[in-house]
Amino acid sequence: MDAPPSVEGAAMVESRSPGRDDNLSRKPPPEWTRFLLTNEFGLIALILIFATVFALGTPGFSSPFNLFTLGRTMAIDIMIGFSMMVVIVTGGLNLSVGAIGVCAAIGCGWLLEQAGMPVLVAIGAALALGAALGALNGFIIVRSGLHSFIITLATTSIYFGLMLFLTRAAAYRNIPADMSAFGKMRFAGYLSPLLFVSVVAGLLLAGLYRLTPLGREILAAGAKAAAAELSGVRVGRTIVICHALSGALAGVAAIMVVARTGAAIPAMAGNLGQDWLLPAFLGPVLGGTLLAGGRASVLGTFLGAALVSELTNGLLQFRVGEFWVQSWLGLLLLLAVLMDLARRSFLAGRGV
Amino acid sequence: MNPLVSRLVRTDWFGPLIVIVLATIIVSLFDPSFLSPFNIQILMLAVAVNCVIAMSQMIIIGIGQMNLAIGAIGGLAAISFAGMMQIWGLPPLLAAAAALALGVVAGLGNGVLISKTGISAFIITLASLSIFKGANLGITRAQPFYGVPDSVKAFGNTTMFGPVPWLALPAALVIAAIWYLLYRQRIGRYILAVGGNQSAAELSGISVSRVVLWAHGVSGFLAALAGVMLVARLQIGDPTIGDEWLILSFAAPVIGGAVLSGGHVSVFGTLFGVVIVAIITQALVIFRIDPFFVQVVLGLLILWAVGVNRLREVRVQRMLKRA
Repeated sequence: MDAPPSVEGAAMVESRSPGRDDNLSRKPPPEWTRFLLTNEFGLIALILIFATVFALGTPGFSSPFNLFTLGRTMAIDIMIGFSMMVVIVTGGLNLSVGAIGVCAAIGCGWLLEQAGMPVLVAIGAALALGAALGALNGFIIVRSGLHSFIITLATTSIYFGLMLFLTRAAAYRNIPADMSAFGKMRFAGYLSPLLFVSVVAGLLLAGLYRLTPLGREILAAGAKAAAAELSGVRVGRTIVICHALSGALAGVAAIMVVARTGAAIPAMAGNLGQDWLLPAFLGPVLGGTLLAGGRASVLGTFLGAALVSELTNGLLQFRVGEFWVQSWLGLLLLLAVLMDLARRSFLAGRGV
Repeated sequence: MNPLVSRLVRTDWFGPLIVIVLATIIVSLFDPSFLSPFNIQILMLAVAVNCVIAMSQMIIIGIGQMNLAIGAIGGLAAISFAGMMQIWGLPPLLAAAAALALGVVAGLGNGVLISKTGISAFIITLASLSIFKGANLGITRAQPFYGVPDSVKAFGNTTMFGPVPWLALPAALVIAAIWYLLYRQRIGRYILAVGGNQSAAELSGISVSRVVLWAHGVSGFLAALAGVMLVARLQIGDPTIGDEWLILSFAAPVIGGAVLSGGHVSVFGTLFGVVIVAIITQALVIFRIDPFFVQVVLGLLILWAVGVNRLREVRVQRMLKRA
C-alpha cells in the first residue's frame, strides 16, 4: 500500500543514483518528497480518502457517537497490531496473542471480582500475567531452537485450555464502575481516551526502537541473528524480551476490551483467541513491517490498524452485511501484500 | 541392538504405535468398557474425520508450508454441501461432488497465489481463511442448514460391519491414496523433494510451482471431504464446522514425526497421531476430567512431539558425523 506511483514520483525515483542508501545518492531528494513515497503517506492518503467516501456516502459515519465507537475499536486494533509487530521484528510470529489477551482479561476479571483487588493492582497483575505468558513462549522458542509458529500454536492451545479449565468458562461481569467509566468516557463528544493509550504505547515503542540500545539490539537480532550474535548481542535474550513485550501489549489490548464491554468474557476473541489473528497481522503487514524481521514501522502499524478499523466500520455503515465483513478484510490483506509486491518490483525495475 | 528392533525404532510410526498400545492397556485396566464395540465405534468415528483433516495439513507440511485455511475450506464445503441439498434439492452425490470441487478450487487458489507471488503461505492462507470464513457466514447468516437427507445422515451414523462405521471407508481410501501418491507416484516424490530443498528440486528440473499447486489442490480436496463427512456425522450443515481444526491438524502430523520445515512426513505416523489424540480425549471423559483440558493436552502433545523430533534429528546428525 503506497502512494500511487504518480508521474512526479516515478521521475524522482529515476533521478536517484543506483545507490540504495539515500546518503550515497548524489542529490538526495528533499525530506518531504521522500515522505510522499513512503508506505505511511499512502496509508494516510487512503484513510483520508475512505473517510471522505464514508462521510459523504453514509449518514451515520461522521456522527459523534460513531466516531467515538470507531475510536475505541481502533485503539484496540492498534494495540493488537503492536502486540504482533514486536514479535514480527524478530523474524518470528506469535499465534497466541489472542489466547494471552483472553487470559489477561479473565485474570483481571477474577482479581477484581473474586479477590476484590483495586482496579490498578488488578490491571498491573493482568499485564504481568500477559508478559509472563509471552516470556514463556520466548523461553521455549529459544531453548528448543524451533520455529515460533509451532511453539506458539501449542501454547495457544495450552493457555486457552488452562484458562477455560480454571474458570469453567465463566465470565466476570461485575467490573468496577471506574473501569467501565473509562471505556465510556468521551472527550469533546467523540474522542475515546482509549485512543490516547494506543498513541502513548506507539510513542514508547518508537522511542524503544529509535533511542535505546536495547531497541537497536532487537532490530539487529531480527535482521541477521548470526551477525548480531557475533557483534555481542545476546539474541536469545532479545527474543524472550520481545515475546514478553508482545504478551504485555496483548494484555493491554484485552484490558481495553474489558473497559469497553464492562465484562471479561472467555469468548471475547473467539475460540482460542483466533479472532485476533487477522487484525494482529493486518496492522503490521499494511504498515510495511517486514515479515522476515529486522524492520519495525510503529507509525505504519498504527495507521494500518486504523485503516482496517475505519474500513470495517464504514463497510458496516454501508450495510454490506455484517457477516461478509470478514471476507472483505481477507481480501484487503491479500490486496495489501500484492500491492506491496508490485511496488517493490516497480522500484526494482527502476533500478532503485 | 537387534537389527529388526533398531529398524523399527527408526521409523516414524513405531513410537506412536507403542504409545497407542500402552495407552489402550492402561485406560482399559481402569475402565474395561473402553474396549467395548460401542466405544471402539465412537473412537473410529472420531479418527475417521480427524485423519482426513490431518492428511490435509500433512501434505502441505510435506512441501514445507502451512495451510491455515483448511478449517475455513472444510467449513465452506460443508455448508455448501448441506445448502445445495436443502435449497436446490440436489441429490447427495452430486452435492458432495460439487462441494469437493469447491474445495479443490479453493486449494488451487491458495496454491496459485503462493507460487505466483512468492508471498509466504502463512499470509496467503490467513487471508483466504478469512475470505472463506466470511463467505461461510455471509451465506448461512451463522444459521445451520437442517435439510440434510436421511441417506446422508445414515452414512454418517451407521456401521458397515461390526463396530466399523461407514465413515471409516472414505478415511481408509484417503490413507491408501495419500500413501500411494507420496511413495509410489512421481508427483509425491516431487512434493517431498520440494519440501526437503526447494532450490535443489528446482535445479534438478522439478517444476516447483506445479508441485505447490498439486499439494494445495489435494489439501483443499481433503479439507472439503472432511467437511462433507462432518455434515453426515452431525446431520446438519453447521457454519462452525472447521473452526477447531487448526491445532489438531498440526498436532497429528507432528506426533507422527513430520518435519515442519518440509520434506519428511509419515502417513501412518500421522494416522497414529490422530488415534493418540482420540484415545486421550476419550480417556479424559472416562476419568471425568474436564473436557476443556483436551486443549491443554493437545498443546502439550505438540510441544512433546516437536521436542522428540528435534532430539531424533540431532541424533541422526551425530550418527551421520560419526559415519
